[in-house]
Amino acid sequence: MQTNFYPPQKLKILAAILIITGVAALVAGFISDPDRTWANILLNNVYFLSISMGGVMFYSIQFITQSSWSALFQRVPLALGAFLPVAAALMLVLYFGLPDIYEWAIPGITETDKLIAHKSPFLNVPFFMGRMVLYFALWIAIWLSLKKFAFKEDRQADFSLYQKSNHYAIVFIFLAVIFFSFAGMDWIMTIDAHWYSTLFGFRTMITSIYYGVAAVVLIVFFLKGQGYFPQMNEAHRHDMARYLFRFSIVWGYLWFVQFLIIWYANIPESTIYYVPRFLGEWQVLFYAEFFLNFAIPFLVLISDDIGRKKWVLIFMSILLMAGLWIMLFIQIMPGSYGQLKFGFTEIGLWLGYAGVFIMLVFYLLSRSAVIPVNHPQLKESIDHHL
Amino acid sequence: MKKKHIIGVFDDEAKVVAALKKCKEMHIPIEDVFGPFADHDILKQHTKKSRIPHLAFFFGVMAVVLTFSFIYFVTVIDYPINFGGKPYFSFPPMVVLMYLMTILITGTLSSLVFLGRTQLLPGKQAKIVDPRVLDDHFVMLIEKPDDPEKIKELLRNAGAKEIEERDEE
Repeated sequence: MQTNFYPPQKLKILAAILIITGVAALVAGFISDPDRTWANILLNNVYFLSISMGGVMFYSIQFITQSSWSALFQRVPLALGAFLPVAAALMLVLYFGLPDIYEWAIPGITETDKLIAHKSPFLNVPFFMGRMVLYFALWIAIWLSLKKFAFKEDRQADFSLYQKSNHYAIVFIFLAVIFFSFAGMDWIMTIDAHWYSTLFGFRTMITSIYYGVAAVVLIVFFLKGQGYFPQMNEAHRHDMARYLFRFSIVWGYLWFVQFLIIWYANIPESTIYYVPRFLGEWQVLFYAEFFLNFAIPFLVLISDDIGRKKWVLIFMSILLMAGLWIMLFIQIMPGSYGQLKFGFTEIGLWLGYAGVFIMLVFYLLSRSAVIPVNHPQLKESIDHHL
Repeated sequence: MKKKHIIGVFDDEAKVVAALKKCKEMHIPIEDVFGPFADHDILKQHTKKSRIPHLAFFFGVMAVVLTFSFIYFVTVIDYPINFGGKPYFSFPPMVVLMYLMTILITGTLSSLVFLGRTQLLPGKQAKIVDPRVLDDHFVMLIEKPDDPEKIKELLRNAGAKEIEERDEE
């Protein structure tokens, strides 16, 4: 049984190629169309931050609920958090592109726009950046502690480390639920500064776990293909499928609740958000988002026997990765860039971010044992059966 | 209906599982297993896979279709009323009712089917094969074949505490 993960050479080369593609797309984008590039940077920041936060939230939930089934591959969701510091740095870089993305950040807009002037005590650049720093500082601090306890547990079998992880997981869930909701509103919803939805932040936060789990599934099966996790059995796949299935319901519910209430009330300042998306040129993506994130996973994973097949899980997770991109694309693009364009900037930047993400996550996985050797619930997890 | 049975009393679920596995190998049909708690291994060895989930899915689809047709009939064909300028046929508010009716119809019908299939009724007297089932023992019920000795031998080897033949129902 292999315990430590050695990233295969091919993976390193792949990550390097992806990063080079990303840098090329970044440079080309800034030369041709800075607005579009800034919007794409925000999109990919939120994309990979969602997966990261989702992963660490998933990790915390396992402690809080004392779930034993996932103890075997616990290091994977923890490693997803490796992107958090980079996400923080990249979000701070966004400072230079704020007026290109956010209407409220354009200098002098408060004199002509009364509503934005009214909102300016909350929506101003220093406070916006300050909140961003606060969120990231708290998340990264807790994630670093969780990582420290997990790595220490490998070297010494000490139950107090598990208890400490448990306490920090509870704190992390609170911080994530409150501040990631705020972050979703800050970073995405304020693009349409005249529009608001009280559900928006919560939706950003809760759906991130969905995509976090999908990323965990992909990485776990990749590692299993490399010969790790020989003890993984049908019951683990079953629980993964249930996780995805339940979050697909949550996703569909929140998506629909936001839409239905705005559709029913029919108030112009609310419906303006849905006019380009539901009726305009973004309509195809609007339906694609719904089918990729809710309808297909829901109908496929509804059956236990189909859902727990390896290839079904992998295929659904890949669909969800595309679904998250489309969801963020139609949340961010109509308000910030305003044109439906899909080209090298979009693809290249996503690939570049994916390269950084892969590199960091697999680097962190290689730092410790892939299977947490001294986890108190490890035996229970290996014996997990239906 | 009178049937003859062989009853094996066990004091450990692992022994029951072993006996069940042997019975499966020898193609001996098992009528039922009783125990103080549910055990996944016993369920896996003993029961066939339940078909109720498939039926529930069918009920769910049926509920969606029925509810949709009902609301469509009411709001579009039979009694169209203008609510706030919305078109008569508006799908979004239907979804809520379809969702709730699916849960109601699926839940009710599948639990009724379950009660029917297991022949359980409210107030039905439980048939207790052996009172020790209520305490800490497991009981295996096998229909008596032509050569009961073979089965008795099997149960004894598997570690049955007690084996008896019973001619009552």
